[in-house]
Amino acid sequence: MPGKSATIRLHVNGEEHTLAVPVQRTLLEALRYDLGLTGSKQGCDKGDCGACTVLADGEAILSCITLAADAQDRKITTIEGLASPAGLDPVQRAFADCGALQCGFCQPGMMLSARALLNTCAHPSLAQIKDALSGNLCRCTGYTKIYEAVQVAAGMRGPASRQPVASERAPASDSVAHAVKEIVP
Amino acid sequence: MSIGDRFPKVDGPAKADGSGVYADDISFPRILHAKILRSPHANARIRKIDVSGASRYPGVVATLTGDELPVKYGVIPWTQDEQALATDHVRFVGDEVACVAALDERTAEEALALIEVDYEVLPAVLTPEDALAHPEIKVNERAKVGNITKHVNLQFGDVDAEVARATAIASQKYRYAGSTHVPIEPHCAVARADADGNLTVWSSTQIPHYVHRELSRVLGLSASKIRVIQPLLGGAFGGKSDPFALEFCVAKLALKTGRPVKILYTREEVFYAHRGRHPMNMDLTVALDRDGRIAAVDNKILIDGGAYASFGLVTAYYAGQLLTGPYRFGTYRFDSYRMYTNKPPCGPKRGHGSVQPRFAFEVALDEAAEKLGIDPIEVRRRNFIGEQVETVNGQKITSNGFLKCLELVEQASGWKERHGKLGPGRGLGVAGSMYISGTAYPVYPNEMPQSGILVKLDRSGRVTVFSGASDIGQGVNTLLCQIAAEELGCDPHEVTIVAADTDLTPVDLGAYSSRVTFMAGLAAREACQKLAAKLHAAGGSTFAEACQRAEAEEGAPLAAVGGYRTQKLGGDYRGGTIGASPAYSFTAHVAEVSVDEETGIWKVEKIWAAHDCGKALNPSLVEGQIEGSVYMGAAEAQMEEMVYDAKGLLFGPSLLDYRIPTSVDTPDLESYIVESADPNGPYGAKEAGEGPLHPAIPAIANAIHDACGIRIRELPFYPQRVLALLREKASGLRRQASGI
Amino acid sequence: MMTLPPVEVLRPSSVAEAVEALQKHPGSRVLAGGTDIVPNLKYGMYDTQHLVALRGLSKELRYVRLQNDLHLGALCTIDQLAHDETIRRCAPALAEACSQVAGPQLRRMGTLGGNLCLDTRCVYINQSYFWRNALGFCLKKDGTVCHVVAGGQRCVAAASNDTAPVLLALGATIKIVSPRGERELPLRDFYLADGIHNTVLRPDELLTGIRLPKDAFAKRQGFAKLRTRAAIDFPSLNMAVALEIEKGTVKSVSLAVGALAARPALIKGLDDLNGQKADARLAEELARRAHKQCKPLTNIGVDPDWRRDVLPVLVRRMVLRAAATAAAAS
Repeated sequence: MPGKSATIRLHVNGEEHTLAVPVQRTLLEALRYDLGLTGSKQGCDKGDCGACTVLADGEAILSCITLAADAQDRKITTIEGLASPAGLDPVQRAFADCGALQCGFCQPGMMLSARALLNTCAHPSLAQIKDALSGNLCRCTGYTKIYEAVQVAAGMRGPASRQPVASERAPASDSVAHAVKEIVP
Repeated sequence: MSIGDRFPKVDGPAKADGSGVYADDISFPRILHAKILRSPHANARIRKIDVSGASRYPGVVATLTGDELPVKYGVIPWTQDEQALATDHVRFVGDEVACVAALDERTAEEALALIEVDYEVLPAVLTPEDALAHPEIKVNERAKVGNITKHVNLQFGDVDAEVARATAIASQKYRYAGSTHVPIEPHCAVARADADGNLTVWSSTQIPHYVHRELSRVLGLSASKIRVIQPLLGGAFGGKSDPFALEFCVAKLALKTGRPVKILYTREEVFYAHRGRHPMNMDLTVALDRDGRIAAVDNKILIDGGAYASFGLVTAYYAGQLLTGPYRFGTYRFDSYRMYTNKPPCGPKRGHGSVQPRFAFEVALDEAAEKLGIDPIEVRRRNFIGEQVETVNGQKITSNGFLKCLELVEQASGWKERHGKLGPGRGLGVAGSMYISGTAYPVYPNEMPQSGILVKLDRSGRVTVFSGASDIGQGVNTLLCQIAAEELGCDPHEVTIVAADTDLTPVDLGAYSSRVTFMAGLAAREACQKLAAKLHAAGGSTFAEACQRAEAEEGAPLAAVGGYRTQKLGGDYRGGTIGASPAYSFTAHVAEVSVDEETGIWKVEKIWAAHDCGKALNPSLVEGQIEGSVYMGAAEAQMEEMVYDAKGLLFGPSLLDYRIPTSVDTPDLESYIVESADPNGPYGAKEAGEGPLHPAIPAIANAIHDACGIRIRELPFYPQRVLALLREKASGLRRQASGI
Repeated sequence: MMTLPPVEVLRPSSVAEAVEALQKHPGSRVLAGGTDIVPNLKYGMYDTQHLVALRGLSKELRYVRLQNDLHLGALCTIDQLAHDETIRRCAPALAEACSQVAGPQLRRMGTLGGNLCLDTRCVYINQSYFWRNALGFCLKKDGTVCHVVAGGQRCVAAASNDTAPVLLALGATIKIVSPRGERELPLRDFYLADGIHNTVLRPDELLTGIRLPKDAFAKRQGFAKLRTRAAIDFPSLNMAVALEIEKGTVKSVSLAVGALAARPALIKGLDDLNGQKADARLAEELARRAHKQCKPLTNIGVDPDWRRDVLPVLVRRMVLRAAATAAAAS
């Protein structure tokens, strides 16, 4: 049973919301279920994966282990709040352009961690990028194109452009035919 | 004009701004949340299930037990041994027993505690050795003999004679630990039935077509009344290619209650759903003649399958059939048993069935070559099989860029100057591999196409591609868009992809066996070429005008279809079609590692990976597949293992205890694309999503050998294992020195 | 997804209100950063009816003050301590330890007080109710057997906080407030060898801050952590050393090791090393003693024999590193 409920006020993506929710509502549940902001993902539910990362006063935190009521005094930014009427945030644009997004599931959290980094460090080193993203697990990319996207978003480089290499036609080696022996159990 | 471009992914913006819809993002008014009760025992008879307590719990709307879904299912038609909810026998800790739908998740979870199940606990078999030794303990009644899911024993040529004649032999035992996929998105399914009894199921599946078929069979409902939709998928890697209990449960509960129903697995439940990498014990011999040519390969493989067959029949074949390139084998034999055990079922994980033997083989090849004093890259070059050639087991290799792959990683890693010369604690290792671009054989026998594409042209010039294929993040929808633009001459930004919806899109068999780009790509090209001919004939100064003229000429809306039809391929023997592919991809890696010889702690510093994908339809996407594969392979070498306790309980089913590498644990990855222009593939393309995983593990093992002289033959390469081997080596050296 | 059990959340706005709430609701638990308690609650590890949330105390308890000694409020975040200039100067090992706690988001949420009061961890307890039921439960909750020590009667779940060994080695004291007033306690007297409740903290007491005596600033400090991944993971082992060196000779040395059993271990009997040269032999000797006194268990899912094997290596290297540093702020 859901238990006691409380009225809370959340400041999300520049809008104030007043919600009546169970007191143990997590911020992630409030965002996804009460506000319909499903861009924040649940991957592990207990702070192990980073898919639920949101910004609280500009800092990347985990919404799945934050009580919604504990977020009341902070300005929350979700992935839905990152773009502006002018278009995608440079981080979002770079992630989309560089192929940093494969399945895309970890990426809202990843992009918010990247945005938080760039807000405090405009031209991070590769080590700083790796550190800043080390709480966001990605299973698709091997992180390589994510680093590239962060660097592109920071204006430090252009997207990858290495050309494929053609292979010469290769002759067949001597082929020997063999009788197949199958042992049927 | 579009093929070969680094065209941004068509789903990129929706994934970037958070608006993309994944299964758990779907909700409806009056939706119910369901939870599944799972077995706490590894092997037990069910005497009785009483759900009455749960059904009376306030907030509970419906309960479900296995007798309401009695039909057995499974992805392979010959091994259908799964039931959505158990009725009489549970086979692993986490096996599904009953289900409750309630107004909210918490209520459903609390109600599960009120279900009474009377179990008769039975002894469990937890290793494949035990499964062989104890046929009297039946894990799964489907097994005809003991606990064997499948036994394959094939021999090509006189292996024993070649081994007897060989100059250098490496013959060792290898153990490959089981690992799992860990898509960041947990499995989720939502079902809704309308008043006419039409059922719609949204599921995080990579095979909507099989889910569709199996739902029909299990529910006893005509497939024409069922619609399966795959929303955006948050990672799969093979882990979402079986039909799962949650899909049947939400469907049945939606029909039962008349309300939408959702099940979202917890991360722990994803570990029980599993279908990950099979643990394999391998007893492998590689024999080289005096020139370093591979005279014979002999492998005995014992496969730990878990409680259900899943794709296990295929696994037993793939473990042997996919090893016979990029090198020419003089003779070959493999003998593989896939065993049932009382653990979560294994299945297809990226590089299905062949990653394990590839590891063993590439290490053994290094070891045998070392005995002959041949450089590891040289021995691979010397055994290169070539192209337009048949392998020892009758697979046709049409294109083969492996030599170029080797050359690129050799140069990039500075192999010639650095291998064997990096000093203690640092080393380089190389490995190669081959993988299929889809399999000629459709999972269920039929004469229909494996992939179908429908393309429609609007008067506005908008192109819509209807594709049954599953974009699981690999980007097939983007490639279809590029193919349409290439063939039709339209702007790729004016292409809409409608995908993976059984009501709207033609059948595609799903995202497995690295078949999608190859097969759906060919189908799309065929459909687009038919339309291009009409547009060309119609003329017009703009694309939209051409569409209008052609439609006027046609006297009907413009649309065309294309299909990829299964080819007859493979050796002429039982099982010869399994692993037979219209094209094979090739990969070479060089890994660089550092080893702390005092602690055994080691690190992959860098991996150079070159992959022959035939033709990169989109280099960014291909690089992404290479890098993701290399990461995942390195992860298996580094840290990943499904570990069970003595009663079959999976240790730490969470992302804290089952550790996957973070950004700071992942080596630097350098990817190179090689194009060998395959005559069969779309624009010459072959697969890129699974092959590049294989060499990472043996390349790392071989690099560890170069760094500190040990041969590690058991995964993961835990630092304690490295340290134990280093001590063994040191004590061996001491013994030598003291002349004992 | 996993849901939280229904609870009541009390929101005091001062330390006095907080301890009053703790006193009024026996069995209540403190919620600060939430990084430990929220997952544990989702796992059904506590039967808590009331949470006392400290968010309203953030301003009061987030201080870093250098007044003779170094005073740190319990609600300083781990990330704050990792970057704070004063701490990097006076207690570099603490900053280092904090920078190695968990991952970036968790460091921003987690607090110093929370880390010091972190519940002990064990592969057999930090699991879902379903899992623990399948296991047959354990001493720490709902059960009667220990799965780590056969026949064990005392819970040996591991102290897994990275700040504890450093603050132990540096001789920190902690400030504890209850409705009865305030008390100060050396950190070395804070922990108990009982994994069920491994501190002397009473139910109505709140750890509000620590004090690091100024003589610690001049010590050569070191911290080392063994973990499988370079981020997110709890320690497989952690350790800290504080060396007082005068003209190349040891004046005092203390060494602490965590992630063993319920209590972070302060290595005993090191006084005889005073007066020795601070050299490689000292490092070897400290390593040997730590190895003798520390016995890793299977409570952490990383091979205990190997952890014991590498422990002296890590101690030796840490001591050598620490000895090589210039003395911290003096």
